[in-house]
Amino acid sequence: MTNLEKLKSLIVDVFLIDPSEFRLDLRREDVDTWDSLGVVSIGVGIEETFGYHPTPDEARALRGVQDIVTLLTSKGIAFHE
Amino acid sequence: MRIIKETGGPETARVLDQAWSAPETFALLPTKTSLTAEWVEQALGAIPLELQSGHFCLFTSGTTGDPKMVVGERRRSEKLACVLHAVQDSEPVKETIGTLPLSYCFAFVNQWLWSRVSQRKMIHTHGLGRPDLLLDVLAQAQQAMLCLVGAQVPTLMEHCAGRCFPGIIRIHFAGGRFPQERLLDLARVFPSAEIFNNYGCAEAMPRLTIRRAGEAEVATNIGRPIPGVELATDDSFALVFRSSYRAVAQLENGVFRRITEEEWVPTGDLGHRLPTGDWELQGRANEVFKRYGEKIAIPQILTMVNRQWRGSALLYRETDAMGEEGVVLVLSPGPTESHVRALLQAFRKEQPRSHWPLRIESVAAIPTLPNGKPDGKALRQSPGLQVHWRQRI
Repeated sequence: MTNLEKLKSLIVDVFLIDPSEFRLDLRREDVDTWDSLGVVSIGVGIEETFGYHPTPDEARALRGVQDIVTLLTSKGIAFHE
Repeated sequence: MRIIKETGGPETARVLDQAWSAPETFALLPTKTSLTAEWVEQALGAIPLELQSGHFCLFTSGTTGDPKMVVGERRRSEKLACVLHAVQDSEPVKETIGTLPLSYCFAFVNQWLWSRVSQRKMIHTHGLGRPDLLLDVLAQAQQAMLCLVGAQVPTLMEHCAGRCFPGIIRIHFAGGRFPQERLLDLARVFPSAEIFNNYGCAEAMPRLTIRRAGEAEVATNIGRPIPGVELATDDSFALVFRSSYRAVAQLENGVFRRITEEEWVPTGDLGHRLPTGDWELQGRANEVFKRYGEKIAIPQILTMVNRQWRGSALLYRETDAMGEEGVVLVLSPGPTESHVRALLQAFRKEQPRSHWPLRIESVAAIPTLPNGKPDGKALRQSPGLQVHWRQRI
């Protein structure tokens, strides 16, 4: 499974969206379940899936899927496979 | 004091008949019980002299697992059986079919004592322990009354698939959640049956309210108090009652105490009175709690789950990694991936995230107490517990 597939699976699982709703430009405001508890959940999910533990500030600053990709890329996790 | 150990079936009923006619107070012990002989001996030893005739003692371990003894007065319970006959419109009923242990207050009063007082026949079965025999009895039933707990419905419906039992004309539910979402299924299997939601507790010995199934659309509506019963709530919405038929004493947590005429007795549930005059349950006092500042009511979550899931569903409480209490949803039998997906979509659509379960698990069969209610304690240790989804928190 590529990192992008892992991220898709994580987003679907954490926010309970339909897999067809997933896209790289998906924004927090597009997802009703990306609420304050969702911020905590995605933080835990990122650590479980990619081994990087975002700080609370980093987790709060994530405004969409692209921000997650950018954050993880900056930590050496590649999304260009 | 006479101790009657329930052996199941007509033999227990015969012994009970004799004991009821004799002056001496007796105690009816369940077949399967976690009560130790010492506990029972101590409990019975606490009964004062004035209650040692004309009374009877029943025991409950309840869903909390804490043993309790309640002492009932025979005269009052006979009066209740007569009241039930009237409010449950039982005159056309010719027989009642037992599927629950007689030591369970609901079956004891609503079936055994009712059949004695109204001079109707009681047919004993082994309940869902021997579904083949039960189905035979149901097939031969004539104008019969059935008393069930909601937790029996998924299994009963499985066994009854494709069958129809027009001889059942009344079905009474008590002891746990009313299966409002399965009324159509029940009507297909029991087309002549009028279905009732009965509410009460052991201290009430046991009935407090009743409603006909069609009179409300939600499982939590328990209808109105029966004659001789008053309901009220205190400042924290704890549901309390006064009843002419209540138990006269109880022993709980090692303390024996009389229940007086004037006192408001806690039911252990939270509730409120609706503008229609009906009463609605918000859950057991320990089933309503705050999670991340939001009020969680387990019965409301179960109502949503039961709209999506036809098998058994239970919720138990657990603390998450943030130290907040949440619930774990257990399904039985094991769901398919699409079932889980549908449930999760329903949670997404209908409930804020704080109401989502911490996990969705399944077991092959929900462990039950002897009275047919789910055994919450055993559930957590069930072998083969499978996790289907979990919140990452």
